[in-house]
Amino acid sequence: MQYKSQAVAKLYFIAAIGLFVGQILFGVILGLQYVIGDFLFPEIPFNVARMVHTNLLIVWLLFGFMGAAYYLVPEEAERELVSPGLAVLMFWVFLIAGALTILGYLLVPYSGLAQMTGNDLLPTMGREFLEQPTITKIGIVVVALAFLYNIGMTILSGRKTVVNLVLLIGLVGLAVFFLFSFYNPDNLVKDKYYWWWVVHLWVEGVWELILGSILAFVLIKTTGVDREVIEKWLYVIIAMTLITGIIGTGHHYYWIGTPDYWQWWGSVFSAMEPIPFFMMTVFAFNMVNRRRRNHPNKAAVLWALGTAVMAFLGAGVWGFLHTLAPVNYYTHGTQITAAHGHMAFYGAYVMIVLTMISYAMPMLRGRKAASSNRSQVLEMWSFWLMTVSMVFITLFLTGAGILQTYLQRYSDTPLPFMVVQEKIELFYWMREVAGVVFLIGLLVYIASFFVGTKEPEVVLEQTDA
Amino acid sequence: MDSQTRAWLRPCTWTWLVMVCLTLVTWLLGVSGAQGLWVALLVLGFALLKGQLVGDWFMGLHGVSGFWRWVVSLWLLLVGSLVSIAFVISSGVLN
Amino acid sequence: MSDKLVAAQVRHYPPGDLAVWILIMAELLVFALFFAAYGFTRMGHVALFNQYQATLDRTAAVANTLALITASYFVVRAVAAIREGNSRHSARWLWAGVGMGVLFLFIKGGEYAEHLSHGINLSTNTFYMFYLSLTFFHFMHVIVGVIVLVILAVKVGQGRYSAAEHADVESGASYWHMVDLVWLILFPLVYVMH
Ligand code: HEM
Ligand code: HEM
Ligand SMILES: [Fe+2]
Repeated sequence: MQYKSQAVAKLYFIAAIGLFVGQILFGVILGLQYVIGDFLFPEIPFNVARMVHTNLLIVWLLFGFMGAAYYLVPEEAERELVSPGLAVLMFWVFLIAGALTILGYLLVPYSGLAQMTGNDLLPTMGREFLEQPTITKIGIVVVALAFLYNIGMTILSGRKTVVNLVLLIGLVGLAVFFLFSFYNPDNLVKDKYYWWWVVHLWVEGVWELILGSILAFVLIKTTGVDREVIEKWLYVIIAMTLITGIIGTGHHYYWIGTPDYWQWWGSVFSAMEPIPFFMMTVFAFNMVNRRRRNHPNKAAVLWALGTAVMAFLGAGVWGFLHTLAPVNYYTHGTQITAAHGHMAFYGAYVMIVLTMISYAMPMLRGRKAASSNRSQVLEMWSFWLMTVSMVFITLFLTGAGILQTYLQRYSDTPLPFMVVQEKIELFYWMREVAGVVFLIGLLVYIASFFVGTKEPEVVLEQTDA
Repeated sequence: MDSQTRAWLRPCTWTWLVMVCLTLVTWLLGVSGAQGLWVALLVLGFALLKGQLVGDWFMGLHGVSGFWRWVVSLWLLLVGSLVSIAFVISSGVLN
Repeated sequence: MSDKLVAAQVRHYPPGDLAVWILIMAELLVFALFFAAYGFTRMGHVALFNQYQATLDRTAAVANTLALITASYFVVRAVAAIREGNSRHSARWLWAGVGMGVLFLFIKGGEYAEHLSHGINLSTNTFYMFYLSLTFFHFMHVIVGVIVLVILAVKVGQGRYSAAEHADVESGASYWHMVDLVWLILFPLVYVMH
């Protein structure tokens, strides 16, 4: 760690991991409720658990992105953060607001929460991923503004690198598109239309810039490949992301009451969306193969390569699977969507945050470059446990989705929804087992921070070419 | 090469002239009211030829070897075949 | 001199930055998909496509084809000039290219205004949906291309490039030729072939 103020990242990373545990616990609860319908009813109804699961996911990823930015930006800009104090203050604001919101979900019926928080004044609640009370949303905007000020001023007054600028564009985009969560028109078509501006333009637009820049940063650091080479790749990747991703939003406009031409626009442009993800995979492997040195933090390199592969599989392949209008006509909103949502979120955004944590945490904890061997081995075990179980979750849900699509929508004698759900119960059980393995993987991950802390760190001879 | 041996027209100028002519022929075919599958395919053929010229002499691919030599040609082949297939089928000559 | 020419002829990479060529490939692929979609959708609506294709302004389209071909030619000359280290000529050719690009935008803009005044939009029918989508997507590319050419013309004019160092000019030129290339197919496909 070269700059003192980078240390604030540690707080963010710890909170991120903590909330990640919460998210997965609720995932496992949800999975059980899928097969045992009244599990924990009426204490935690399915819709509440789902809301907690998805909201925790988003919030911890945001913590992760902010932590990554606080670590990466000073190093790239070659100067301290403009205001480390503000970063710490915003950390607590965000954490407390987040915790109160989750407690609100769990303790108060949702409609009551809406009333308590004055949703009537500016109704924004009740939409997937954006369930937060309006005041929480305002809090998020405040935190985001303070964060952007801090990061932006640091970047603009320091060395300007492509990595930093792409990251900044991504983060500004994240904040700007979030503003559409305040727009909640009565017209259901318009409501959905703009809802996707948050959801889709996040994960298939600006977040990809964040993903690309963090990946580029970690690769620069761990492979020693020339910055110019890596920057060139980054340029092309983000150009492709934006060309395909922006109009690609159309793959959500097939059946919501929007004009017909979206079926063409959405299909053609989103069919190209896997390209930038594929380029990221080629990029990551290429850079690691051309490395000038072996970095002692092998776990971080594993995470980086894993991100590139899993993001391509989850977003690229599983996204493409159902993105063409004639296919989506049958698969829309089935378990295929859930399969894709899980692997894409995990492969792209969960893994990139874990990559950054893996790279930065040893330094944040006072090591020179890497953890001890024992800690790294355990971390790599957790990598495989989580990644393989996520692959299985995805496969089981895909199996469920194919059957569901066929029985409910394609066969000559379509069956009602609930009848079909019973027929595919076996897949849900298997998903739940894989989910438990995922949770175990996560616990192993956390354990890796506590083993071998007194042992010396891995050192490799540095062979600069 | 010096100005003595320099051809009186550069290759790119030739290319430009050929493309202008092909464009005008396409236009004449259009306004002449000529109809039918063969006219359509001829027009497409002219376009593919023009595309090849752009790739070779404007983009400078004639002097490149390996994969990049053929990117534009491959693209033209792809587009040309897909569009021709669609036009041939819809013209009904196959029935 | 001829040694240099021979050496230049066994390159393995196209002129300009490889990254731009990857971008060009991806863009060409998007257009290829759209062209194929046009062709195959037309199979189900031949009469409709032919009927509304006849309402388009072919003369404007031919003028536009000539404008783009000529713009591309000017850009080729600009690259040739900078390869000889002649910034002044190069900048002049680039501005000429910009002029042709702007001419294209004007003519095409005129066509759009005409359609608009007849209340034609994306939802009018399948033919117009494709025609407007394809040409407008291309129109956006022409705008981007013109902006690229303007930036290059300014920088070349300031003498920022030389015979040895002009990769940006080649990259921008390659992008522009791609915009031209796409139109060369687009033009017969939507305006002429029936
Ligand atoms: C990392 C990137 C991505 C993430 C995190 C992601 C995540 C998601 C999620 C969570 C949903 C469900 C939204 C909902 O209805 O609640 C979804 C839907 C969808 N995604 Fe993605 N996605 C990503 C990339 C892609 C890509 C690249 C494609 C296309 C190639 C794609 C195609 C789709 C489609 C077509 C749907 C709609 C499914 C339906 O109709 O039910 N996604 N995505
Ligand atoms: C890092 C890991 C995980 C990520 C990124 C993740 C992400 C998501 C996302 C994005 C959704 C919303 C999907 C949609 O709108 O289509 C969701 C829903 C859900 N998740 Fe997860 N999840 C994870 C782990 C788990 C685990 C381990 C389980 C359980 C075994 C689980 C079970 C569920 C269930 C049951 C739903 C609700 C699906 C529905 O409404 O039908 N998740 N998760
Ligand atoms: Fe999407």
